[in-house]
Amino acid sequence: MRTDITVKIGGEAGQGIQTIGTLLAEVCHSAGFFTFSIDDFESRIRGGHSFNLLRISNEPLVAPGHIPDILVAIDQRTMSLNKANLLSDSLVILNAESESGAEIDENSCSDADLEGCTSNNILKISLNRLAKEAGGLITANTVAAGSIFAVLGTPFEMLEGLLIKKFKAKGEKIINLNITAAKMGYEAAGNLRYNKQLDWKPTKTDRIVIGGAKAAGLGALASDCRFFPFYPMSPATGVIASVVPYSGKLPIVVEQAEDEIAAVNMAIGASFAGVRSMTSTSGGGFCLMTEGLGIAAMTETPLVIVDSQRPGPATGLPTRTAQPDLLFVINASQDDFPRFVLAPGNPAETFESVKKAFYLSEKYQVPAIVMLDQFLATSQVTQQNFFKVDKDVERFIFNQEDLKTSQYSTALDYKRYEITDSGISPRALPCMGDIMVRATGNEHNEKGQISEDATNKINMTNKRNSKLEAMKKEMDLPEISYPKGADKQFFLTGWGSSKGPIVEACQILQEKGINVGYIIFKDIWPMNSDAVKPLIENKKFIMVEQNSNCQMGKLITQETGISYYSSILKIDGRPFYPQYIVDKTLDIIG
Amino acid sequence: MVEPKDYDSDFENKWCPGCGNFPIQKAMKQAFAELDIPPQKILFVSGIGQAGKTPHFMQGNMFHCLHGRALPVATGAKIANHDLNIVVNSGDGDCYGEGGNHFLAAIRRNIDITLLVHNNQVYGLTKGQASPTSALGMVTKIQKHGVTSSPFNPLATALGSGAGFVARGFSGDTDQLVKLIKAAMNYKGLALVDILQPCLSFNKINTHQWYKDRVYDIKAAGHDSSDLAKAIVLSLEWGDKIPTGLFYEKESASFHSRVGVLQEQTLISYQFDGEKTAAAF
Repeated sequence: MRTDITVKIGGEAGQGIQTIGTLLAEVCHSAGFFTFSIDDFESRIRGGHSFNLLRISNEPLVAPGHIPDILVAIDQRTMSLNKANLLSDSLVILNAESESGAEIDENSCSDADLEGCTSNNILKISLNRLAKEAGGLITANTVAAGSIFAVLGTPFEMLEGLLIKKFKAKGEKIINLNITAAKMGYEAAGNLRYNKQLDWKPTKTDRIVIGGAKAAGLGALASDCRFFPFYPMSPATGVIASVVPYSGKLPIVVEQAEDEIAAVNMAIGASFAGVRSMTSTSGGGFCLMTEGLGIAAMTETPLVIVDSQRPGPATGLPTRTAQPDLLFVINASQDDFPRFVLAPGNPAETFESVKKAFYLSEKYQVPAIVMLDQFLATSQVTQQNFFKVDKDVERFIFNQEDLKTSQYSTALDYKRYEITDSGISPRALPCMGDIMVRATGNEHNEKGQISEDATNKINMTNKRNSKLEAMKKEMDLPEISYPKGADKQFFLTGWGSSKGPIVEACQILQEKGINVGYIIFKDIWPMNSDAVKPLIENKKFIMVEQNSNCQMGKLITQETGISYYSSILKIDGRPFYPQYIVDKTLDIIG
Repeated sequence: MVEPKDYDSDFENKWCPGCGNFPIQKAMKQAFAELDIPPQKILFVSGIGQAGKTPHFMQGNMFHCLHGRALPVATGAKIANHDLNIVVNSGDGDCYGEGGNHFLAAIRRNIDITLLVHNNQVYGLTKGQASPTSALGMVTKIQKHGVTSSPFNPLATALGSGAGFVARGFSGDTDQLVKLIKAAMNYKGLALVDILQPCLSFNKINTHQWYKDRVYDIKAAGHDSSDLAKAIVLSLEWGDKIPTGLFYEKESASFHSRVGVLQEQTLISYQFDGEKTAAAF
C-alpha cells in the first residue's frame, strides 16, 4: 500500500527552514522511506519567504510533492500564502503567538491569520516559548521538528537517535539541549496525528539522499578530475562545494578564479597539461565562458563544464529553476565545432553523465557540457546507491613511449593536429619528453603552427567536424515509454530534469485510463538524427520544457524535420509538478 | 649544453623588420641557454598581439591562447604540473588591458610563472590604436584628439599589489634583459618583466632613440632591490629619465607551496585509484 505525504515548512530566510527539512529527510531515510525534497528560497540571506517541500513515501519517488498534507507555518506569510489551498484533511502546525511572557516572536501567527483556512486540524505551538523553556531560542527549529515527527507518528527514539548522531561533534550539552527541545515539540502535539501514517521502524538500505550538484561533483571525482576552477554563481556553486570535503582525501585542487573567463581558461590550461578539470557555472557565467569553449574546440583540448541553469536573461531569477540554455550551449561561441551536451534527469543519471562527459571529452578532444538546473542541482532525492567508480580511467593520451610504435620516426615529426580518418589526432602532453606540443587558437596546420592557407583551413575544419559521425553514435537514444494500445498516441516529450515530473504525470494519466507515453532525451548533442527519427515518427509528441520558446522541440524539428504536436512550457522559475503537466495535457488532448 | 640556436625555428617570422620583439626573443633564447633549459622543457603561453606570436617563432611547447587569457591558461597548466617551466609572452594591451583582472589575480596567487610583457605603448596587431600604457594625449588614427586616459603603471600596480618580483627591461639592452629574464625564471613565484620596446610601424613617439635617451640602469645607480619603498618611488619615475632593471625582489611562498596537495608532489603525478576514490565517498 503506497503512502505518500507532503510536508511544507515555510518561513523567512534565516529561520532554519532547510535545517528542519534536512532533519526530517534524514529521519525518513533511517526508516527506509523515500524522500523528494525541494528548497524554494529568494535571493537573500535573511527575511522574505522560503519553504522546504518534503515528499515522503514508502515507494520510490521521481517528482516533488505539491499541495501540502502537513503545513508548518513558521511565520504569518506562510499561513496567508497557503491557507486557502489546503485539503480538508490537511494538518497545520502553526507557530502561534506566545501567551506567556516568553520572548515575542514577531513573525508568529495569531488567530486572525487562520481566517479562511481550509483545514480544521490545527496545532498551535509557540516555538520560541518552548525553545526558551528547553534551554535556548536557537532550538526553535528542533522544537518544530519534534512536533512534525509527532504528527507523522515517528517513534521519538528514531528522532533522538539521529539528533545524537547529528550533534555528536558538538558535545553532550548540545545533544541534550536538542533532545529536550525535540521532546517539547513532540509532546506539544499531544495525540494529534496526521490521518495517513507510515510504518516507522529503523531500516537499513543501500539508498542515499542526494542532489544533482553533489552527484555531479562525485561523478567528476570518479572520473579522476583533479582541478576545479570556478567562480561562485547560483545555482552552480553547489557542484564545486560538494567536492571540497574530499580535498584532504583525494588529490584535488579547488580554486576560486577571479571570474568565469579565468575559470574556464584555467581548466583548459590544466587539461592541456594533462590534468582532468571541470568548471561549473550558470547561464550568465556560461556567457563569459563561451570564448573559452571556442579555444578548447580550436586547440582540441578536453573540457568539461556543468551549466546549472536558472531563469534569465541577465541576472534573471538567481535562486530559481529553468531550462533556457539548451540552444545557447549547443551554439555558444562563434563558428561551428563539435561538442557534447548531456542533460541527466536525476542525481543518479547526473553522476553517470558527468563520467560520460569526461570520457567523451577526452576521447574526442572536444568540449562536453552537462546541463543541470536549480531544481535538479538542489533537490534532495532518495536514490539507489549508484556510485560505481571504475578501477581506472581511460585517458587517450599519446605518451613518449608511443613514439617508437608510431608513424613518427622522431619526436620532431610529431603532429598534434595530424589529419586522420577519425578526425582525432594524437594528443601528447607538454614537457613530458622529447615531443613538443604546440597549440594555438589561430587556424593552424598539422603541427600547430598558424596557417592562413586556404586548403589547410578547409582540411582542418573538415578534420574537426569529421568526429561528428562517431560522436553521434556515442549518444544514448531517448528513453521511450509506450502506453498500451496503438503507437499513434500522445507522448510527453522532455529533456533533463523534467524527466521525473513527466514520468509521474504519465502514470497519473494512465491511471485515469488516458494512454499517454513519454520520450525523454538525456544525451542531447550531437543528435543522432538517423536513429532518433524512426523513434518519434508518426507520434504526436507534446514538448514539456521550462523555457518560453520550446527549445528542445525546435531542435528536434531542426534535426529530424518532424514537428511537435503541442507544448507545455513553464516559465515561472518553479519546478514542474506532475499534476501541472497532467492538467495541461488534458487541456491539449481534450 | 643548451645553445640559443636550439630555440631557432624555421617557421616564417611575421614581425615587421626592426621590431623590438626580435631582440626580446634573442634575449629569451640566450637566457634559456644560460639556464640550460632545452625547448622540450619549456612551455610558452601567450595571448593575442604581436607579442603573442613569439612562441610561434621559436622551438618549445606552446599554448597560444585568446586575448588577455594567457595568465589563466598558464595558471591552470602550472597547477596541473608545477614542474613545468612556464613563460608567458604578453603585451601591454593583452596583459594590462584585456587581461587586467588576470594580471592582478596572478600577482595575488604568486603563481610561479615568468611574465614577459612586451610593452610598446601601442596596439600593433590591430594597426596603431592606443594601449593602456599609451601616453596621455598621444594621437592615433582612432584617438584623433589624443588619448584621454592616463597611462596604466604596471610596475607601481604590481608593487602595490604585493608582487615579489618586479623588473623593467628594454629591448635595446639585451645584456640587461638576459639577466632579468634569468632572474625571473629563477624566482619562485610570479615574476613580472615589463619590457619597453619600440613599435616602428605605429608608435612614432616612443621610438628606439626616445627610449635610448631616457633609460638608465637602476642597479648601476645603486638601487637596493630589497627596498620596497624605493622601488615604488622608482616605479613612479617616468619622463626625462626612465629607470630599468630589477626594482624589487622578495621571497614569497608561491601558489603551489601554499596548497597542501601540491606541496608533496605535482597534481598530475598522483595515481588514480578507483578503490580509494570509492572509499572516500
